[in-house]
Amino acid sequence: MTQETVHAVTPLVRVEDLSVRFAGTPPVHAVNNVSFELAPGEVLGILGESGSGKSVTLKTLLRLLPERKTTITGKVEVDGQDVLALEGRALADRRGGVASMIFQDPSLALDPVYTIGQQIAETVIRHEGISKSDAMARALEMLEVVRIPSAKRRLDNYPHEMSGGMRQRAMIALALACRPKLLLADEPTTALDATVQIQILLLLRDLQKELGMGVIFVTHDIGVAVEVSDRLAVMYAGSFVETGSVKDVIRDARHPYSKGLLAANLVGAVPGTRLDAVPGAPPPLNALPEGCSFAPRCAHAETACGISPLPIWTGGNGRWARCVHASRAGALAAAESTS
Amino acid sequence: MSTPILSAHNLVKHFNAGGFGAARKVVRAVDDVSFELAPGETLGVVGESGCGKSTTARLLVQLLRPDSGSVRYEGKVVGPELPLKAFRSKVQMVFQDSFASLNPRMTMIDAVAFGPTVHGMSQSDATRKAQDLLDRVGLDPSRFGGRYAHELSGGQRQRVNIARALAFDPQVIVLDEAVSALDKSVEAQVLNLLMDLRRERGLTYVFISHDLNVVRHISDRVMVMYLGEVAEIGPAESLYSAPRHPYTEALLAAMPSLDPDRRTMEAPLAGDPPNPIDPPPGCRFHTRCSRAFGPCSTLVPPSHTVGKSHVAACHLNSVKEHVA
Amino acid sequence: MAVTAETVAHLAKIEKSQGYWRSVWTRFLRDKVAVCAGLVAAGLVLMAIFAPWIAPADPLEGSMIKRLSPIGTEGYPLGADELGRDMLSRLIYGARLSLFMGVVPVLIAFAIGAAIGIAAGYLGGWVNTITMRVLDVLYAFPSVLLAIAISGALGAGILNGLLSLTVVFIPPIARVAESVTTSVRKLEYIEAAQASGASSLRIVRDHVLGNVLGPIFVYATSLISVSMILAAGLSFLGLGVSPPNAEWGLMLNTLRNAIYVQPWLAALPGVMIFLTSISFNMLSDGLRSAMDVKQ
Repeated sequence: MTQETVHAVTPLVRVEDLSVRFAGTPPVHAVNNVSFELAPGEVLGILGESGSGKSVTLKTLLRLLPERKTTITGKVEVDGQDVLALEGRALADRRGGVASMIFQDPSLALDPVYTIGQQIAETVIRHEGISKSDAMARALEMLEVVRIPSAKRRLDNYPHEMSGGMRQRAMIALALACRPKLLLADEPTTALDATVQIQILLLLRDLQKELGMGVIFVTHDIGVAVEVSDRLAVMYAGSFVETGSVKDVIRDARHPYSKGLLAANLVGAVPGTRLDAVPGAPPPLNALPEGCSFAPRCAHAETACGISPLPIWTGGNGRWARCVHASRAGALAAAESTS
Repeated sequence: MSTPILSAHNLVKHFNAGGFGAARKVVRAVDDVSFELAPGETLGVVGESGCGKSTTARLLVQLLRPDSGSVRYEGKVVGPELPLKAFRSKVQMVFQDSFASLNPRMTMIDAVAFGPTVHGMSQSDATRKAQDLLDRVGLDPSRFGGRYAHELSGGQRQRVNIARALAFDPQVIVLDEAVSALDKSVEAQVLNLLMDLRRERGLTYVFISHDLNVVRHISDRVMVMYLGEVAEIGPAESLYSAPRHPYTEALLAAMPSLDPDRRTMEAPLAGDPPNPIDPPPGCRFHTRCSRAFGPCSTLVPPSHTVGKSHVAACHLNSVKEHVA
Repeated sequence: MAVTAETVAHLAKIEKSQGYWRSVWTRFLRDKVAVCAGLVAAGLVLMAIFAPWIAPADPLEGSMIKRLSPIGTEGYPLGADELGRDMLSRLIYGARLSLFMGVVPVLIAFAIGAAIGIAAGYLGGWVNTITMRVLDVLYAFPSVLLAIAISGALGAGILNGLLSLTVVFIPPIARVAESVTTSVRKLEYIEAAQASGASSLRIVRDHVLGNVLGPIFVYATSLISVSMILAAGLSFLGLGVSPPNAEWGLMLNTLRNAIYVQPWLAALPGVMIFLTSISFNMLSDGLRSAMDVKQ
């Protein structure tokens, strides 16, 4: 490990006006004008339903999208490097070096024909050029870090010889082997049983603190997001609709979609009663409405919602919501408090 | 309790997992499971993968034949006392995979109308009924009736599957993870629909899910399963507030808190659920239980009544009985 | 809960969505290679049907002086064969028997093999095991050898050739039918149909057939070219079609002595076999991808 001076002011990740389009007729607008920053050592949870663009946003940070079919515009900086400008070798060095990723399905990250130990060692050799025996020692150390019992024996296991939770731990060990500054987590606990999920969440939380990495955690599950994140971004139809600290968003959601998600997660619901459900379904990403994408499902929708750009309500502490209704309510409240 | 509408009596189902003779491996998917359903109630069934929830559901609707034990509908044993075809129209099922549950070559109207025609309704009456039901589950029959499964969203497909089950005018519907694959906002809509239908038609549900929040919301009683056995069964209220089986406690403690100030600090259980091939002797949970003691590894815990219609299969309760 | 007719009277009109086969057709039309192959195949079929009108000469009438005339000879645009018969006419007429020998055995084998495979796949268990093992025994013989053996035992003749080819194609079609049916049987919509109380026959008719016949048929069409080549092979060996009938395989056989004198002429029947088999293969490939419904 090299000692590096950390500039507290430079964010680890800076995304500016990121848009991702997939080729098609009409083209799919997977991500639309997303901007955010991640401080070193911070955990950002991106919350969204299937097709909200949360995974695409994450993959853009490592440029994991199929190049031919994708058009990326905007600016993406990870650790001061313009990711969109990287080519070939430099890009490969990034992946697994500065930033690495864990997935819902470990088979995307683990190769079935090599043992866990070989795979971790291989990655370390590739990025740090150390000797094979040192790399194996690091692999063992990593398995202990992720708390795999009898780690020494597990080094020689193939992925299929491990249980679901163990495989997930092994994948985390692989992702963290080169001490990345940024960990990208794409629903890593979704396929796990509840009692195993909480183990993995706690492990990730502990490791994040120990290693001081920045984490972007993508999930559809509010409960999971609350367990791991410092900050929360709610994503809908390819756009961030609301961000803020976890507490602020959970306790005092401003965007009607965030409120709907909370209601759907039965926060404060009385058993047996009807839920305050958001009607309808998300719009198709190749035919997004003008203005607010959520307006067709929103109980507060009005004509102003169909006009871009939408007004943004801002609270303190980096908190904002992109909503006509929220910004007006915010302005009213501000006027009242000053008068 | 009045005559239960549906009851399971000592259901056992083992699957062959390969091997011959002494090396033969058996998955003990469901082992001696019994429970009763009162008319109009909703029984939630929770448990982790491999606990036998889905097998229990398929045994209950007679898609699988039990190795031993029986299912009774209104006290009559299905098969000898109640013909299977009559039972079919009383007890229906909705599956998790909304896409695989629909014949890709059938329009939605035909999919819903199929059941009634099997039971002797004319094609035109069945079609009319299907239109009515699609309308009831929130799908305009003139827009959606002629579509095929791949032209609908997951939530819409699951509504069709519910309509298909309703087409039999059943008394009981077994919902096997029926809302689990849906997005949260759509899931809430379908839960509302299920609760409305329950009230309108006096339906009895068996609601199987891994999501304890949802189960608590919709269920009157909850059954917790572990490795093919019933660990605890009781009223939702008391089971969630005062669980009497360490496994139930662990499941509840493993739920994400949804409160940023009170995050979960400790995982209640270590490791993965064991394989249902070759489950541990005695109490099947003892290998993961932090409170296991003497008898747990050798004696199968009997069912202790721990409250009003609240039963838990844990030795700790016998200790409490003795102390009391 | 009774549903009354009055409440739904106004709902009776249902907007019918584009049917499955319509969408297959649209996707098929987008595949240019498959459309070309389809046109070629259709052309060959038309040529076979209208042979008497298209062919410039009698395929059986020879002329000793014109024997082995090269391509482009006056009155013989594609030359003449070893007995001085017009090559073009023989090739056109040959399409009749060749296509017949390619298509008919596959169709019969499709009917029989699909029935066996679907039954075995849906019933499962020991019925499946026994049926499939018996078919495996047949399948274990190389198809060429099996066809020759059966034909040889039965003797030459179109009907015997037909029969031997049919027997050869039943096992592979049944195997495909069995595996497709087995995978469909495990889907939840079949379980839902079982839970409706429908009989097995009804489930197979209403839910299984529609979902398995397509893929099995596509597989069968890919066998047409194999069947044609096998039939040609049988004729070549003197089994199957016998002279003086025009059939491409047989023509290839009788012209083989002329290969040093008129190599281009001798290759013509081979070209036809190649063209036909490749167009049928590409057609079936196109059908397969067009029938692939995505969620």
